[in-house]
Amino acid sequence: MIDKLCDEAAEEDTAVACFYFDFAARNEQSPVNMLGSLLRQLVGGLEVIPEAVVRSFRNQKKVIGGRGLQVSGILKMFQTITTTKRTFICVDALDECVPEHRMVILESLGQIARESLDARIFVTGRSHIRSEVERKLGGAAAFVSIEPTGDGIVGYLREKLRSDTTPEMMSSTLEENILESISQLSSETYVETIQGQNDLNLP
Amino acid sequence: MSQGFNNNQNSFNTTNTFTTNTFTYLTPDDESKILAWLSPLEPGARHRDIGAQRLDSIGSWLLEAQEFRLWHGGNREDGSNRRTLFCHGNPGAGKSYIM
Repeated sequence: MIDKLCDEAAEEDTAVACFYFDFAARNEQSPVNMLGSLLRQLVGGLEVIPEAVVRSFRNQKKVIGGRGLQVSGILKMFQTITTTKRTFICVDALDECVPEHRMVILESLGQIARESLDARIFVTGRSHIRSEVERKLGGAAAFVSIEPTGDGIVGYLREKLRSDTTPEMMSSTLEENILESISQLSSETYVETIQGQNDLNLP
Repeated sequence: MSQGFNNNQNSFNTTNTFTTNTFTYLTPDDESKILAWLSPLEPGARHRDIGAQRLDSIGSWLLEAQEFRLWHGGNREDGSNRRTLFCHGNPGAGKSYIM
């Protein structure tokens, strides 16, 4: 999707920024660093760095040792960019973010969505944070459920088999057996995972 | 603005006579410092890694979904409820790969 948006951005006056949360990097992926990273991508894509950003940078240098960014400051700079340009913000795996950080980030994304009429925000995450997203965004979001499809699993397996380093060991019968059994196993495992979460009373 | 001029001999201020917007010219070094100040995180590598592992057809269904079309094709007059799209699923559903 991001690639499609970037292709469009090359032809139209739009901007795209993305961020991937990773549980292993949760300490460094603070709200300031995450929102700053989105802003950095948007600013880096402009021909000229906006005056509001330059001014903030120079003002913080007046403080001894420099002053770190704050979420409120980042959001102000965000607004100067997103009010003049159609902007797509894509955030992956929001559930892998520290819960306390997630609250701040959801509030910030909500603020951007409310104040920047040309901003579009795309977020992925596990289903158990849906209620959190609904609560923080005040119902101001659309939801889509992602589930693996049989065609997707078979396509992935065929691609893996095509790059097999020992093709002489493979026969068409074995290949079909692999496709059938793993597809079946994958869908059963997926269903069991969902059932397991329900049994554990996970949201 | 005048502060910017005083702080950096390589920068100078000018006024765009067409738009009357005032802006500061920066050296590439100035620009790098500003971008680094905004954040040390650069998710481009992660995006490339995922893209390299993804099959072309993965996620194409989402681009055709009504929710995506409304989100993507919306305009300024839409309510804020059209501006955010949340795609949720269980582990292994392929959420990262649709992005």
